[in-house]
Amino acid sequence: MFEITRYEARSRVKGSLVLTFGVGVFTLLIVGLFPSIAASGVDFEAYVESLPPAFQEGFGVSGAALTTLEGFLSTEVYQFIWLLMLGLYIAYTAGNTVAGDIESGRLDILLAAPVSRTTVLVEKILSLLVPIVLLNLVVPLFVLAGAILIDEPLDFAAIVVVHLLSIPYLLVCAAIGVFLSVALMRADLAQRGSLAAVFLLFLVDTVSAGTDYEWLGTASPTRYFDPTEILVDGTYDVGGAFVLLVAALVLLIVSCKRFQEAEL
Amino acid sequence: MGAIDVSHLSKHFGDVVAVDDLSFSVEEGEIFGYLGPNGAGKTTTIRTLLGYQKPTAGTARVLGADIRDSGALTRTKAHIGYLPSSPSFDERATGATYLDFHASLKGDERRAELLDMFDPPLGRKIGTYSTGNKQMLGIVQTFMHDPELVIMDEPTAGLDPIKQERFNQFLREERDRGTTIVFSSHILGEVRRVCDRVGFIRDGHLVTLEDIETLLERGGKLVRVNTATPLDPETADLGGVVNFEQADREAQFTFTGDYNELLALLADYDVVDLDVGEPPLEDVFMHYYGESDV
Repeated sequence: MFEITRYEARSRVKGSLVLTFGVGVFTLLIVGLFPSIAASGVDFEAYVESLPPAFQEGFGVSGAALTTLEGFLSTEVYQFIWLLMLGLYIAYTAGNTVAGDIESGRLDILLAAPVSRTTVLVEKILSLLVPIVLLNLVVPLFVLAGAILIDEPLDFAAIVVVHLLSIPYLLVCAAIGVFLSVALMRADLAQRGSLAAVFLLFLVDTVSAGTDYEWLGTASPTRYFDPTEILVDGTYDVGGAFVLLVAALVLLIVSCKRFQEAEL
Repeated sequence: MGAIDVSHLSKHFGDVVAVDDLSFSVEEGEIFGYLGPNGAGKTTTIRTLLGYQKPTAGTARVLGADIRDSGALTRTKAHIGYLPSSPSFDERATGATYLDFHASLKGDERRAELLDMFDPPLGRKIGTYSTGNKQMLGIVQTFMHDPELVIMDEPTAGLDPIKQERFNQFLREERDRGTTIVFSSHILGEVRRVCDRVGFIRDGHLVTLEDIETLLERGGKLVRVNTATPLDPETADLGGVVNFEQADREAQFTFTGDYNELLALLADYDVVDLDVGEPPLEDVFMHYYGESDV
């Protein structure tokens, strides 16, 4: 059991460490910027009011929030890096789960071993947890270290909750990639398709916000994970996280069924 | 029951019939050559036998497991070794890491012994391997768990002649230990040297199954000869000459007759260049089975 996960995970460790370190350093820089921005005395509320509603929604910007470290982080790090960039990264990575192996013929030798297709797919999916878990374990420590360095109060519990609840969100992004990988069986198509899908869903939620078409956004995973809500208002959408987990599971089960039936 | 029993197996891709109503058996402990021109359906048959593709009609049993029963087939794979044609590996891994991984999936009791014979540079990343080294890594991977049945698709492509001969010798030894070996090829000479029995496939049909002696007699050689003065066109009437073609001083034909008679005939000419080699498989089919025999 888990031989494939172990093998795949090992090949993901290096890239995930580099990514985690990069995001961590970026977060530190953002935290380091905060004192000078807070001290600038700019009227953020007036500035934010002047932005289009979709922009305000998309990056979770709210004037009042920018004056606290948590609010500043939610806009600069979590809405942008976590929701959008990491969502895209995980979906892109997942797009290569089996498609690349099918295309190159590597899967032939693997499936000649006494392992079922389901085992292969599930174990490969599990290896995607390496970047997801590593990022969410390590980056909060960078945030905490930054807050200590600039001597600013920080609701660390809220930060931990954001990271915890981001895992179901990132799992959905991974599931989108896996599904396209199995459905298209071509790595480049599946990877680009995953990027497009996650970005489109993000846009749908953002653009429809505050309009009569707001219901459209219910199809987007971003609707169920809102870092600003957690960090600024202190409310947790546990139900939303549950919806995301179920969605991820359903997508992965459909992918497994499809992979079992696929002609390779 | 044979190691492989194929019964009325068909595989269609839309309108394209890749394999049509194929029935044959591979006996335990024999080397079975699966021969056919490129595109004849060899790879499709193998991929269907391994469960990568589903049969359109008919079925097969591989070591007793019905190929339509994916659970049974997966379990049976513990006793099967498979080498695809031009196998591809995880290029970022070293040969050793790769073999460790596959050992964790199916075992590797014969790994060390195999590496004495086939020695790819295990410490290096597979991405840097030559075709021959990749092929050797593939061979080690195929045999390292001591399988009962080994299926190989065009296995000697990329091996140099010495390694190829060592590989043939190895296959005979494996057969003598009781391993059943199936390998596909489009090169008659390769199959000749090692196979006990041969199945021909052409356009998705099994044309004939015959033992290697019969094949040897029928195969013939492709002769190309360049003479200072053109060959007498009546050479075509010499016993065993088929498909005689001539362009000025160049002549080409398939020869199945007595070599001494041919040499005696050529002795009357000033031979500039002479090449006696394996005939293309397509020609063997054309001569012995006719173009529209199937």
